[in-house]
Amino acid sequence: MEVSLFHAALQGLLNLLHLKVFLAMLIGVSIGTFTAVAPQGLGMPLVYAILLPVVIRWEPVTGIALLIGASSVSAICAAYLPVLFGIPGGAGSQATVLDGYPMGKRGEARRALGASFMAGGMGCVIGTLTLLVALPAARPLIYLMGSPELFVVMLWGLSMVAVLAGRRPIKGLIAAAFGLLLATIGQQAQSGIMRFVFDQMYLLDGISISIIALALFGIPSALDLALTKLGVEQQAAPLKGSLLDGIKDTLREWWLVVRCSFVGVWIGIVPGLGSQVVDWLAYGHAAQTCKGARETFGKGDVRGVIAPESANDAKDGGDLITTLLLGFPQGVVTALFIVALLAWGFVPGPEMVKKNADLIYSIIWIQGISGIFGTLVGFVLAKQLAKLAEVRYTFMVPIIFIFVLMGAFSANRDPVDLLVVVSFGILGYFMRRFGYPRPAMILGLVLGDLMEKYLYRSMASYGFSWLTRPAVIVLLILATISFALTLRGRLKETR
Amino acid sequence: MTFRDRPFKISLALGALWVCFFPASVFSQAPFYQGKTIAIVQGRDPGGTGDMRVRAVLPFLQKHIPGNPTIVNEYMPGGGSRKAANHVYKSVRPDGLTIGNASAGMVSLAVLGEKGVLYDLDKFIYLGSPYSSYHGVFVTRKEAGLSSIEKLRAASGIRVGGQSVGFSTYNEGRLFAYVLGLKEPKFVTGYSGAELDPALIRGEIDARANSADTVVRRSPDWLNKGLVDFHAILEIPKGEKHARFAHLPELESFAKSDIDRKLVILQRAFRVTGQPFFLPPGTPKDRVDILQEAFRKAYKDPAFHKEYKKLTADDPTPLMPEDHERAIREIPREREVMELFKKLVGAGPLPAR
Repeated sequence: MEVSLFHAALQGLLNLLHLKVFLAMLIGVSIGTFTAVAPQGLGMPLVYAILLPVVIRWEPVTGIALLIGASSVSAICAAYLPVLFGIPGGAGSQATVLDGYPMGKRGEARRALGASFMAGGMGCVIGTLTLLVALPAARPLIYLMGSPELFVVMLWGLSMVAVLAGRRPIKGLIAAAFGLLLATIGQQAQSGIMRFVFDQMYLLDGISISIIALALFGIPSALDLALTKLGVEQQAAPLKGSLLDGIKDTLREWWLVVRCSFVGVWIGIVPGLGSQVVDWLAYGHAAQTCKGARETFGKGDVRGVIAPESANDAKDGGDLITTLLLGFPQGVVTALFIVALLAWGFVPGPEMVKKNADLIYSIIWIQGISGIFGTLVGFVLAKQLAKLAEVRYTFMVPIIFIFVLMGAFSANRDPVDLLVVVSFGILGYFMRRFGYPRPAMILGLVLGDLMEKYLYRSMASYGFSWLTRPAVIVLLILATISFALTLRGRLKETR
Repeated sequence: MTFRDRPFKISLALGALWVCFFPASVFSQAPFYQGKTIAIVQGRDPGGTGDMRVRAVLPFLQKHIPGNPTIVNEYMPGGGSRKAANHVYKSVRPDGLTIGNASAGMVSLAVLGEKGVLYDLDKFIYLGSPYSSYHGVFVTRKEAGLSSIEKLRAASGIRVGGQSVGFSTYNEGRLFAYVLGLKEPKFVTGYSGAELDPALIRGEIDARANSADTVVRRSPDWLNKGLVDFHAILEIPKGEKHARFAHLPELESFAKSDIDRKLVILQRAFRVTGQPFFLPPGTPKDRVDILQEAFRKAYKDPAFHKEYKKLTADDPTPLMPEDHERAIREIPREREVMELFKKLVGAGPLPAR
């Protein structure tokens, strides 16, 4: 039976006012927090797969509280590893390492964590509000973004290389080009041709982006500490700054949080973009638009933490728009969430929005409330965990290596992953040593596969006529303006 | 203590009495699997539908294997399950403590002689599959105006969307296009499952193949609002009608020649193998017997059917171990048909009919 949206929203909230629903949400939040700090192999997909047979026996709202509680929080709390150890978190929390770790090294770990949790919490709330407002009307937007439009957006994203390259544009281009080359490894989806596979089964599906990111940032951090700090300075920088400083930073940069949150929501809405892209695009956007970013980003600018974290947490709201409104999963986690809904007898899609609006709003309320809980949990734990930044380097270096190697191995339990992580770790060290920006390489790697896919599909579906589509023309103009402004800024600097 | 000591003589006498009155407790053996751990090596990432199908079986397997061993999952994605199948074939000790589970791709890749296959399909020992039945439908978007087979055949350059080359739904899209006799179709590939439906409705593609059950469950709008036209169905196994699409003509009815028919039969043979559980060659027969019997009981357990439906939103259509072995053995292997099938499911234009 269809009811007014207001009544549905109210009923949705009333559905949550039961002790067991509240407890389920808290348990979910705890599980999500644990998953966030565990090595990469224990990700949300595995957690969902383990929980699903249990929760589908529960009442729907209770089960949803557990599942959404876990997934909404795991992104918020994923900043521990990047800030404290210089190890990229899971997909969506990799770019945080660029500024989070330098902040941690100079004793501002609490400030960085405070900023990341606050940004994550705000991003989650913005994503939830967008979900609330957009759900009845998001359908046209989802269908608007086709392969041609997405190709142009990815091209726009690649222009961020100019910013991420810092003062070394040529080296940035080389790093990005290398990332694009790495993206070609594997069996090409459109033609089935094996590229750079060398008859190795390991390379058939390409090299995992998560493992490369882990290696490029985690190992050089540890090597750097080992080679420069041991024997020279045994004590870490004393802790300064506080969680409150980080919270204030985030509130001061509220407009950045809003912009990056909308980037995250948009990436969540569009099918096929994936969570690998969200933090890099948000970071690149912040680097392009924030004042003085060129000088400070990559060296411990708190805005470089705020941008990716707000986008990453807002993305969940976007994911749910597509999942609930159209029944399209955006990844394994949302696919399993759909399985759970089907097990409870609900079919995600427009009919569910009409007939089970109160349940939809329960999901929305849970998403927002668990995000706030997750932020609070983060604050409570951060103060103690930040003290890890004071641990002597002689202990920190082996811990970082263990985390990196465990994270790499536990993903696929393949010993070749260890070889890959060591190789790319050494590459990352020399890239850092000789000034080749690693973010540019990661951006090339992340965007390369997507660009090829969208360009291929655009040409196969439309020939060259896709260039005359109105949305494509608008996006091309915007991308050109953005690139021209970036170039102008660089030319001004060099004069 | 010596034989002459009285306590020793008493102990010996009591022991002899015990053996006479309670021989079973002396001569019985604990089941082999008691206290053991069985690893299921899955050729996929955790969390997908394939993983949920396996998880649905596991509690019942544990229940029906004498000794109730612990069963754990290991994940080894890569190469369309080739990595996991290679590992089970070559690297795993054949002691009955490691079971492989792979997608249907494991079968088709081996039969078609694709690269990277280091296992012999006929040497594995099969333990059945939790599902074997499948219905594929070929749909076009309503706005394309292809409301009949005649219009479908008359139109040129129909854009058929699919996932990656080699993916089973991509193969079926190509097969439908070939057997239905589409004129110069264009194949737009590289979509994920979630992207294909928006692409169809948006008009980026005109047609796609899809699972009938997925359409009914996930896209009721297509049926209720008539957003698409349905043209044909591939029944696996042949003759098993789908409740909702029983009126659709079966694909094989469009076959013009014997070789067309054999192509359809080959695709059916690949699909009917479902999601095989298998043991490495050389596993001792007594353990094979135990596991095959346990799988039979698990598949027949009514509680398994309920659990499977809850976890996957589909009804199970299990294939028993002996039927599975037969299905693998009976896959047509005629060279001419396989060569044509390889061209059919490749990336180039469809072969001439």
